[in-house]
Amino acid sequence: MIIPLAHLTATGFGPWADGLARLVLEPTELLLVIGLVLLGVQTNRAVSDRLPVLLPLVWLLGGLIGMQLASPLHWAVVRTALLAAVGLLAALGLRLWPPLVLPLAAGLAGLFALVAGSALGGHAGALAALLGELIAIAVLTTLLARALAPPHARWLAIGLRVGGSWITAAALLMLGWLLRHPQ
Amino acid sequence: MSLPLRGRQLLLVAGAAALALAPAAAWAHADAHPGGGFVAGFLHPIGGLDHVVAMVAVGLWGAVLGPPAIWVLPVAFPLVMAFGGLLGLLGVPIPGVEIGIAISGLVMGLMVLCELRPPPWLAALMVCAFAVFHGHAHGAELPAGSNALLYSLAFVIATGLLHLLGIALGETRRWPGGRRFVQGSGGVVALVGLWFLEQALR
Repeated sequence: MIIPLAHLTATGFGPWADGLARLVLEPTELLLVIGLVLLGVQTNRAVSDRLPVLLPLVWLLGGLIGMQLASPLHWAVVRTALLAAVGLLAALGLRLWPPLVLPLAAGLAGLFALVAGSALGGHAGALAALLGELIAIAVLTTLLARALAPPHARWLAIGLRVGGSWITAAALLMLGWLLRHPQ
Repeated sequence: MSLPLRGRQLLLVAGAAALALAPAAAWAHADAHPGGGFVAGFLHPIGGLDHVVAMVAVGLWGAVLGPPAIWVLPVAFPLVMAFGGLLGLLGVPIPGVEIGIAISGLVMGLMVLCELRPPPWLAALMVCAFAVFHGHAHGAELPAGSNALLYSLAFVIATGLLHLLGIALGETRRWPGGRRFVQGSGGVVALVGLWFLEQALR
């Protein structure tokens, strides 16, 4: 019998599949990954090519560290504010200094993974769930980074900024909701 | 009798616009959808004529203004609207929200009808000011207990799609007769805004 993990939606296919599904069902993490890819592809080709490798590795590291923590981290407000900031950077279309983008992406992904790992820690099947989510992130990042790789046509550049704007808008509303209904 | 291709295309666009507007003869901000999540968030902005016409008008006016406004407005609007939503969620009062929403439809409709082209910064400022009213009304209604981020995301996507519809309708200006069609759409938006303004002032 498979005992469902807390913070995971049981798919019925075990913790690995639950982890795969988590990325879709946990929009904060999904939007962070999309936002970081938007930032990466807006910067340059070298950065966008490295993201599909960097993000899953950092996610694994952060998740493993998080799983060692004694209790789950509740950093919803901080995570949502950071998500809004990532979206805003993409919406403004600022070309960040390329050497800054990868460490920034790694830091943010690591932080989010730390929280995700802390939620999974202490449960049987947690590692499988973490690996499942990692695979989902690797696939999503690879597909997005490849599809949106620079150079960009004018309409695509606008679309990237609109995407960033939508991420920030959703995060701001979420932030207001969190402040109104403290967890 | 068959219409010429461009005429049929125009008819299709007009039909799509009518379909988009038809089911929504109600205030966008009068009720909260039960439950929450993606579907409720997506339906919320589409469920009210006052919001729908204003969002479509943002796209229409962007198309009339041309670059850079055609993309600046749809990028800026969700950001400022969400800021207004944040204020609404935090309980920061903004007086005359429904009046502001009605005026947004009226003013942007008139801008499209008269093909007025203020400087891009002024257009962005006007649209952003209206966005605060729309966001505040929606933010104040975000239901408790829902999946707030999914709701918010769907809400923003639906709003963005309404902008896109407005831009698509506005791009018909390139076709023969399209300019009059866009102006007519602006007129309809202005009339709807005027009706909601009259309702709000009662």
